[in-house]
Amino acid sequence: MTFSSREILETVRMFELETLDIRTTTLGVNLLDCADPDLESTCEKVYAKIVHHGQNLVSVANSIRDEFGVPIVNKRIAVTPISLVAAASGATDLVPLARALDAAAKAIGIDFIGGFTAYVHKGFTRSDQALFDSIPRALDETVHVCSSVSLASTRAGINMDAVSRFAEVVLETARRTADRGGLGCAKLVCFCNTVEDNPFVAGAHIGIGEPETVLNVGVSGPGVVRSALARLGPNPDLLAVAETIKRTAFKITRMGELVGREAARRLGTSFGIVDISLAPTPADGDSVSDILELIGVDRTGAPGTTAALALLTDAVKKGGAMASSSVGGLSGAFIPVSEDSGMIAAVRDGALSLPKLEAMTAVCSVGLDMVAVPGDTPADVIAGIIADEMAIGMINSKTTAVRICPIPGLSAGQTVDWGGLLGTAIVQDPGRFGCRVLHRRGGRVPAPLQGYKN
Amino acid sequence: MPRRFLTSEDVRAAKSREILVDPETLVTPQALEAAKAAGVAIKSAAGGAYVEPAPDRGPDAAKAKAALSAMPEPEPDLGGATGVVVAVVGKNRPGILMEITGVLGAHGASVLDISQSVMGEYFQLTMAVQLPQGRPFGELKAKLQCLGGPEDYVVRVMHERVFRFMHRV
Repeated sequence: MTFSSREILETVRMFELETLDIRTTTLGVNLLDCADPDLESTCEKVYAKIVHHGQNLVSVANSIRDEFGVPIVNKRIAVTPISLVAAASGATDLVPLARALDAAAKAIGIDFIGGFTAYVHKGFTRSDQALFDSIPRALDETVHVCSSVSLASTRAGINMDAVSRFAEVVLETARRTADRGGLGCAKLVCFCNTVEDNPFVAGAHIGIGEPETVLNVGVSGPGVVRSALARLGPNPDLLAVAETIKRTAFKITRMGELVGREAARRLGTSFGIVDISLAPTPADGDSVSDILELIGVDRTGAPGTTAALALLTDAVKKGGAMASSSVGGLSGAFIPVSEDSGMIAAVRDGALSLPKLEAMTAVCSVGLDMVAVPGDTPADVIAGIIADEMAIGMINSKTTAVRICPIPGLSAGQTVDWGGLLGTAIVQDPGRFGCRVLHRRGGRVPAPLQGYKN
Repeated sequence: MPRRFLTSEDVRAAKSREILVDPETLVTPQALEAAKAAGVAIKSAAGGAYVEPAPDRGPDAAKAKAALSAMPEPEPDLGGATGVVVAVVGKNRPGILMEITGVLGAHGASVLDISQSVMGEYFQLTMAVQLPQGRPFGELKAKLQCLGGPEDYVVRVMHERVFRFMHRV
């Protein structure tokens, strides 16, 4: 056990000064066996099963934090898409299930529970329809519940009917939570090529191919990469930048691998994946935007930003892939606008526009995240923004997502402060033009040629 | 296949004053309340009153347990002992090393490696320490981290496995 003082102090510095943390340990719990013809009984089973499996999650995470000295910020539960669990009941109002999830989350002391979810990339079941109809009230009446829907995939194309319906759901959720700055929309996301072992909110859930229970880990660490690049300085070339990021990502991911193995062992369950997305927080220095500016753009959003982000995302994946054999599908870099102080500043200074953000999502690890638009944005404009993002994912065989927050009563340029990890959003201008005819047509954008692989 | 759950609806539908459940069955809190209100006893088929079973993490869990312990990781070289890394940073003054090693000695820990450097009035000290099998890591960590103070020095204590994972392949 010989470590040089340089190695020891490097690790201590990462935790103490560069805000390295494990963003989340997420326990996946399969709820398919909770399906019941009676909705009330389904709720009882859902609550009982989540509490039964999750009651030790917080204490296990805390014991690992104390023993290894690695901060674990969030403890979460991800469950089977609720539209599948509720289908047998035939219920049209699924809010009671959201309340059961919320009560279970509260009982075991976790931060969030994800899985108020439906897969509708090819079409709706009655239960999917009920879930969509229930989302606004569910997010209004609960605290911990997160909701996500799958609207498109490279294999299935884009379900434009679902996109349009989802746009209405977003607007209704914003209206219902208007007194909290439209906060409900921060817990609501849609996906193309959804990831079925996603440990991050708002998209956390476990898909139907997942085991009975599984422990997934999400690692953060923009502050560590930022500091490494600051030490590298502005003169070395881009290969040196990529190499620096890769080495740093390796070290960060190893922490996720250690915590994941240990948490799974202590909980007596399978270790699923470690997701190595650089996830910013509003804290000083914990910013992906700062990394892009250190790579060499004047401000995030300036020409060159997409190239810098592509380098960053790829280097993080390469470093992570060596550090763990179970790397998750969202690995790379998140760019949630309101949660990243650098991004907020870039929007404020007019450097980062909505169209540029969309271009960046073609190479980041997910998509348009925590973007605020005026509360009176028409449904066809929201649907168009979502459809564009789904198209980027569909054609490029990548996961894309949209977490968009229409802020009731606010117009472009105004600010809403959600506090905590959700940060501050500046309302962005979606432009004067919409896509009413496209929106009205509905139907499905067929699967692209890329989807016909076999 | 044994019954997975017993719900309040099951309790209400029960015809007898006693319900027998399989050892694996999870009785919901609402079912327990309903049974209590109706004076129905919920008993384990294995005998005795119902007790919440240990969580059944599923068919993959047993295999995962074996697989996790067999996963290769950078080799420790400590036998059964616990490796501890201690990093101390702060203002230099006489007696700091004695304070640290005093606590280590009281816990039966031995120092394997030590490195110290002084820059002006500040210093940094790193130590690799071996804690004998059976001595609690948490206790040593708590004692060491109580030393020093904001205007004096700060002690950081971490498990050596963190460093092994981060710096060794």
